[in-house]
Amino acid sequence: MDMVCIVCPNGCRLQVDKTDGGVTVQGARCKRGENFAISELTCPMRSVTSSVRTTVDGYPVVSVRTDGEIPKDKMFEFIRELSKFTLDKRVPIGTVLIEKVCGTDINVITTSEML
Amino acid sequence: MNLAKIANGVYKKYGVKVQATQDERSIIVTGECDDWGKIVEIGKLFVDKKSGKYVVNDIRFTGGEDRPPLLPAVCDDKLEGTEWDVVIIGGGISGCSVARELCKYNLKVLVCEKHSDVAHGASGANDGMVHAGIDIKHKCKKLHYVTRGNAMYESVCRNLGVEFERAGQYVIFTSRLIKFLARTYLIRAKKHNIPDVEIIGKKEICAIEPTVKDFAVGALKIPSTGAVSPYKLTIAYAENAVQNGATISLDTAVLSLEHTDSQITGITTNRGKFTAKCVINCAGVFADKIAQMAGDRYYSIHPRKGVDLLLDPKSDGLPSNAISLSPTLKTLKEHKNTKGGGIIKTVDGNILLGPNAHETYLREDTSTASCDIDEVFNKQQRCCPSMKRAAIIAYFAGVRAPSYEEDFIIERSAKVRNLIHVAGIQSPGLTAAPAFSLDVAEMAKDMLQSLGVQITENPNFDPHRNAPIRCKSLSDEQRDELIKRNSDFGKMICRCEQISLGEIKQAINNPLKVATVDGVKRRVRAGMGRCQGGFCMPLVVKTIAEELGVDYCDVQKGDDGSYVAIGNIKEI
Amino acid sequence: MKYDVVVIGGGPAGLAAAIRASKNASVLLIEREARLGGILKQCIHDGFGVVRFGEKLSGPEYADRFIKELRDTNVTVSLFSFVTNIVKNDCYKLTYVCADGVKTVECDKIILSTGCRERTRNGIFIQGDRCAGIYTAGAAQNLVNILGIMPGRKVVILGSGDIGLIMARRLTLEGATVEGVYEAKSTPSGLTRNIHQCLHDFNIPLHLSTTVTRVIGKNRLEQVEVSQVDEKMRPISGTERIVDCDTLVLAVGLIPENELAKDLSVKIDPKTKGAIVDQNCQTLTDNVYACGNALHVNDLVDYVSESGETAGEDASKPCGKRKLVPVKVKGKFLYMVPQMLDVNADVSKVITYFRASEELSKQKLTVTVGGKEIFSKRFAKLLPPEMERVVIDYSAADLASEQILIELKEG
Repeated sequence: MDMVCIVCPNGCRLQVDKTDGGVTVQGARCKRGENFAISELTCPMRSVTSSVRTTVDGYPVVSVRTDGEIPKDKMFEFIRELSKFTLDKRVPIGTVLIEKVCGTDINVITTSEML
Repeated sequence: MNLAKIANGVYKKYGVKVQATQDERSIIVTGECDDWGKIVEIGKLFVDKKSGKYVVNDIRFTGGEDRPPLLPAVCDDKLEGTEWDVVIIGGGISGCSVARELCKYNLKVLVCEKHSDVAHGASGANDGMVHAGIDIKHKCKKLHYVTRGNAMYESVCRNLGVEFERAGQYVIFTSRLIKFLARTYLIRAKKHNIPDVEIIGKKEICAIEPTVKDFAVGALKIPSTGAVSPYKLTIAYAENAVQNGATISLDTAVLSLEHTDSQITGITTNRGKFTAKCVINCAGVFADKIAQMAGDRYYSIHPRKGVDLLLDPKSDGLPSNAISLSPTLKTLKEHKNTKGGGIIKTVDGNILLGPNAHETYLREDTSTASCDIDEVFNKQQRCCPSMKRAAIIAYFAGVRAPSYEEDFIIERSAKVRNLIHVAGIQSPGLTAAPAFSLDVAEMAKDMLQSLGVQITENPNFDPHRNAPIRCKSLSDEQRDELIKRNSDFGKMICRCEQISLGEIKQAINNPLKVATVDGVKRRVRAGMGRCQGGFCMPLVVKTIAEELGVDYCDVQKGDDGSYVAIGNIKEI
Repeated sequence: MKYDVVVIGGGPAGLAAAIRASKNASVLLIEREARLGGILKQCIHDGFGVVRFGEKLSGPEYADRFIKELRDTNVTVSLFSFVTNIVKNDCYKLTYVCADGVKTVECDKIILSTGCRERTRNGIFIQGDRCAGIYTAGAAQNLVNILGIMPGRKVVILGSGDIGLIMARRLTLEGATVEGVYEAKSTPSGLTRNIHQCLHDFNIPLHLSTTVTRVIGKNRLEQVEVSQVDEKMRPISGTERIVDCDTLVLAVGLIPENELAKDLSVKIDPKTKGAIVDQNCQTLTDNVYACGNALHVNDLVDYVSESGETAGEDASKPCGKRKLVPVKVKGKFLYMVPQMLDVNADVSKVITYFRASEELSKQKLTVTVGGKEIFSKRFAKLLPPEMERVVIDYSAADLASEQILIELKEG
């Protein structure tokens, strides 16, 4: 099957075939592409960015992201988790807001400097 | 006038069976037709100016479905049970100018405007030309008010704090024959007291306007033509009226008029039912509908849509004057109802092209189509071949409100004792408004006096309205001083038009309390430039919300229901 | 006050330019908004800095790295400041307004890093009613990511530019339904990976060779009419279809912002719509530089910063008399930057950016000087949305011939 690697802006067009023993990947310009293809077939992962509401003056919302990848099918659950959260003070960029979100090992961190 | 004969002629020419009857004031035409263009043409055939009667065109249109009038969503009792001396229906240039003139007397004046801002109809969507009146051939109300109105512009705009430029206009001749025939314009100008009109030669026009050098043989120079922002003038009239005690009720639509014994006794709106001693119908494209509500429909309005294009003033190849091509014998025949548009320089420095003119049965259809853009641009490009289509940054449509007689109807109702009609006010109604508003105010005063109302002058009437602060037009020293007094004037919000936060706050807190994105845009031009609000719109939304103390989601673009956003994120 | 260099615009290009220039020169950075970072402030999606930092940062994080670096330099920053006038005498005299008043400042060199703006609904002649609910992608992004409000529930996106794709995903994750992305061209305008991760991941259909021909709505948008277009992008009559929606997001192209450049009589390249520059990002007007998206619209911020650094580096040093030779192009290029080579300056590492004008496969780029090939590179595939970057060493070439040609052909 054809696939586009989303790891970096190169956007390598991958040809991925399942063989008896595993998976063969062609078209990747680096090792990360191969890993991406394999994970897409087994358990697709995505990093997710969003924002959370705040009560801080001048910041109706503050931008956040996962500090790693979460399973693709947990993206909406992740957003629902964020809607329960309201930030009530100024925090530096990179502050962990939610630990181990949606039962993963991944944290939610802020991505804008509020100080 | 032999009505049967005309009806016969109509059948021969259009294959449409019509019946025509007449009463004291009107010629009433009935029938059925599926072509709106034909219906309008037929209506015109029954015009009989000698008799002073008006055409009421009741030919039923079967080729499409009319849309119900746009009505405000709000429904409350804000005006329930109130009593007014004068109620003006319609907040366009007519209604607002009349309201302001009426403020010279101690009267309770109310303007009902169904949209969320004044100048929402044709008053806000025209080219802003202050006409000299050279196109009007015969003596009529229009000519009377246009020439008088034109002469008043300096003083009116000075008083109301509105920019006005009398830069003149040039009608370009492309053939010697036309240039020769144009002498009739000089005779007309003299007869109608249009000052300083002259015919100039090729050399002179090419020096003034080099873009026409390839085809101009001369030009008609009309120095008294001017330019004004039509919505800013309407807003200024409205604000000055409010400052002098008038009430302008926005989002207020007249739904019905109660009338007994040839008198309007009650006005029903979506904001309540109330009374007025005198009613002035300034309802634009709905003037005949309001007349009908009062039981006094003796004319018909046939809506005519026109599209204008705005060009980026920084693009190349633009003319620097208001120019238009003189009609040729051929185009004179083709375009009877429009001066054919032209190229106009607005007071804000934009070049504006237009308008075209198309009859429509939809009174509120301000949509545009690509054929309009092509038509207007291609036509005006003949007058300035160096203009590029890519220079177009905006376009808009307005629906004009002519009667079949193509003249203004400014008179007391013959049937309803307390009603005045200000109808058929199409181009150049903007030019005429300063003049006819004086007469309409006098008419209303006489009417009220004849109804036994004691009228005194308003000793506190102040004809002056302060122009809003415009940072860009200040010198660096003045601007610096202003910013030191209020730092908001140093914070730039709209980069294209250089509008500061201070100017935007000033626009939001206007006397009419219009706090919408479009309201800000029309008052201070934020969002009118190249990016068309792409950058500043969110900042304007934020500022409106903060000034009003409401949520961002409560901010509207324009009319009630035009929400910018539907809710907060993470709450949908 | 006098500075060696004034940088106008504190987005990614201006930040990089100011930091680099400050190593050798006194620098003033003028930013129009209340905070540094430019458009990155609202680009909260990730994928920034993969080339430069080897990390997938969000826009604000990428900007923050530069803002923190800027703090350790001697660059003077003036926020909420808007340049209203520039005049040239012996040096440049700038007038700008800010919350403190009207200021003037003098400088030897100016770096324009003013970014770009979006093409509007009028720019692509969308017809129909004048209702609320029609936003450029950037404006919609600002509403969602800065103000925290949702523009609508049911969204149609016109244009498959990257911001449009990013917004399709963003709005979907926030609970809106994106009915589809419509693109008048026969190929997508955005990066392939964005088509994949923003549309395919969420089953959002992409309709190519289709455009919005009419918008319908009283106060708020209610429907759009979409039509297929022919190869000349003219709507095909009879293919109209009505789509119910309350929001139309336009991602139909970006245009370098060059108002100040025009005031300085900087010559503009009609292809990039940005300034014509030499390899050091200096425009044809001496001592005026252009970089970032004001120079040409980039798809990766990493290259925006790179051109900022190129401009900053050169502007911070005394420059001799330039000798400019045009770099001619032949073949299916959309554009090429730089358009000029200053043969009196260093020519050993000329960073050259280009885009193909159409989708091409198996292409060979060759650079010849005076008919002699000095550089070549093969490309398996070239796509207009994906900018290419090559570094060319002209130092061995005979530049006296003044015959520089970059050619793209099959091979």
